[in-house]
Amino acid sequence: MIKFDSVSKVYKGDFPALEDINLEIHEGEFVSVVGQSGSGKSTLLKLIYAEEMATSGEVYFNSSLLNNLSRRKLPYHRRNIGMIFQDFKLLPRKTVFENVAYALEVAGIPDEEIQENVQQILDIVSMGEKMKKYPNQLSGGEQQKVAIARALVHAPMVIIADEPTGNLDPVTSLEIVQLLMRINELGTTVVLASHDKDIVDKVNRRVLVLDNGKIIVDCAKGKYKAS
Amino acid sequence: MFLTIRRTFREAIQNFIRNGWLSIATVSILILSLYVLSVFFVVTSTANSIMKDVQGKVNISIYFKPDVSEQTIAEVKADLEGFNEVQSVRYVSKEQALEDFKKNNASEPIILQSLDEIGGNPLLASLVVKAGDPTRYQAISDHINQAAFFSEISRINYGKNKEIIDRLNSIVATIKKIGTSLGILFAAISLLITFNAVRITIYTHKQEIEIMRLVGASNYFIRMPFIFEGVIYGVMGTVFSMLILFISVRFVTPYVSSAIPSSNLVEFYFNNFGILLGGQAALGVFLGVIGSLIAMRKYLKV
Ligand SMILES: Nc1ncnc2c1ncn2[C@@H]1O[C@H](COP(=O)(O)OP(=O)(O)OP(=O)(O)O)[C@@H](O)[C@H]1O
Ligand SMILES: [Mg+2]
Repeated sequence: MIKFDSVSKVYKGDFPALEDINLEIHEGEFVSVVGQSGSGKSTLLKLIYAEEMATSGEVYFNSSLLNNLSRRKLPYHRRNIGMIFQDFKLLPRKTVFENVAYALEVAGIPDEEIQENVQQILDIVSMGEKMKKYPNQLSGGEQQKVAIARALVHAPMVIIADEPTGNLDPVTSLEIVQLLMRINELGTTVVLASHDKDIVDKVNRRVLVLDNGKIIVDCAKGKYKAS
Repeated sequence: MFLTIRRTFREAIQNFIRNGWLSIATVSILILSLYVLSVFFVVTSTANSIMKDVQGKVNISIYFKPDVSEQTIAEVKADLEGFNEVQSVRYVSKEQALEDFKKNNASEPIILQSLDEIGGNPLLASLVVKAGDPTRYQAISDHINQAAFFSEISRINYGKNKEIIDRLNSIVATIKKIGTSLGILFAAISLLITFNAVRITIYTHKQEIEIMRLVGASNYFIRMPFIFEGVIYGVMGTVFSMLILFISVRFVTPYVSSAIPSSNLVEFYFNNFGILLGGQAALGVFLGVIGSLIAMRKYLKV
C-alpha cells in the first residue's frame, strides 16, 4: 500500500534527512516510527502525504508514484489520508463541528451525509457534546480528539499521526493511543511517529527505528528501543 | 460544482463576519469611495441639466425699428440662418409681441390699462437668435454689428444670461475635474484597502490555509472564498452607499430646490436608481474582486 524504494531526502543544501529508505507498509498495519529528534520521522511521514518530495528513489501510494504528483492531484491524494499532528492543526475560526465537516466539504460530500457522519464520528471520540465549541475553548486532549475525528470522518485508507501525544499528559495520551488502536482494529492502516516509549510499548506492533535518516531496526512486533 | 460555490460562498460569509473589524473597516472605505463617486455623478448630472436649461434660455433678441418691413426682416433672418454659429432664428411679429406681453402681464391690470390708453401697438418686431454653442454669442454679435442691416435695428438685447453661463461653464468644468480626480483617488484607495484586507486575511490565516491543504482542499476551494469576500465587500459597499446617498439627497433637496427651482434631487435619485445601483455594484464588486485577486496572486502561492 505504501512503498519506499531506496528513498533519500535532502533538504536544500543540507545533509540528508533520510537516506536509502526501503520500506513497505501493508493494509491494516499499525507502524510506530521512533527515533531521536531530528532522525527524520516527520520527513518520512511528509513523503507519504506528499508535503515533501523524495530527492531520489521512489515513493508509492496505492501503487501510484508520488514523486511527480501534480499540484492539481495533490488534494485527491490527501483525501485518502487522515492526518493527526502534535499541534492538532484545527481551524481556529471554525467550530468543532465545522472543523470535522470541512474534510468532507472539500470532497464535495452532500450536506445530509456530512451532518450524519460528523455527528457520528464526534460521538465516537466522545466530543458530540462540544460540537458548537471553538478549538480555543477545548483542552489539548479534546482538541486532539476533534483532530482524530476529522482525520477519520472521510474513512481514509491510512491515518498518519505525527507525535499526536506530544502535547498531552500521560493519561490523555493513553486515551488517544487507544483510540488509534481501535481505529486500526476496524481496518485502517496507522502510521505513528512518536518518541514516547510508553505509547509505543502500549501499541506493541511493528516498530521502525530511525537514526540519522536511516532505518536501523524494523521489527514486526516490538517495543520502543532507543538507539 | 454548485455545491462548491455554495460552500465557498458560505465560507466567505463566515470569514467576513468572523473577521469583524477588518471587514467593517474595509467596507467603510469602499462605502466612502462609492459614495463620493455617486455624489459626483449626481452633482455633474444636475449641473449639466441646469446648464442645458439655462443655455436654452440664452438668446440674442434683435428689435427692428417700427418702420422696417416684414420682408426686410425675413431677409435678415435668412442672412442670420446662413451664419455658421447660429442654431435657430425665430421671428416674433409685432402682434405676437403684443400678445406675449399681455399674457405676461395678465395679472397687472394697470399695465394693461396704460397699454390701452396708448392705443395701437407700441411693441417692436424682433428676431430671436440662438447659438448652437453658448460660447459663440460673441461671434454672432460681432457679425450683427458689422452687417448691412445694422441701421434697421432699434436695439439688441443680448448677453443677459451670458455671465451666468460663463460661470456655470467653469463651475461644471471644475466639478468634473475635481470629481474625476477624487473618483480615481478613491477607487485606488478602495483597491488598496480590499487588497490589504485580503492580504491580511491570507497572512494571518496562512496556517489555516496550510491546514486546509492538508485536509485535501483544492486550490479552487481555498481561493473561492477570498474572491467571494471581495464580492461581499462590493455588495455591502453598494448597499450602504445607496442608503447614505438617499439620506443625504433627502436632506439637501429642500436647500438645493430653493436655490435652483428646476432641480429635484430625490426625483433624480429614483429616476437614476438603476444606473446608480448598477454602476456602484459593478465598480464595488470589480474593486473588491480585483483587490482579492492581486492579494492572492502575491500572497497565496500555490
Ligand atoms: N523544511 C526543512 N528544511 C530544512 N531542513 C529540514 C526541514 N525539515 C526538517 N529538516 C531537517 O531534517 C532533519 C529531520 O527532521 P525531521 O523533522 O524529519 O525530524 P524528526 O525525527 O521528526 O524530529 P522530531 O522528533 O524533533 O520531530 C532534521 O535535521 C531537520 O533539521
Ligand atoms: Mg517530527
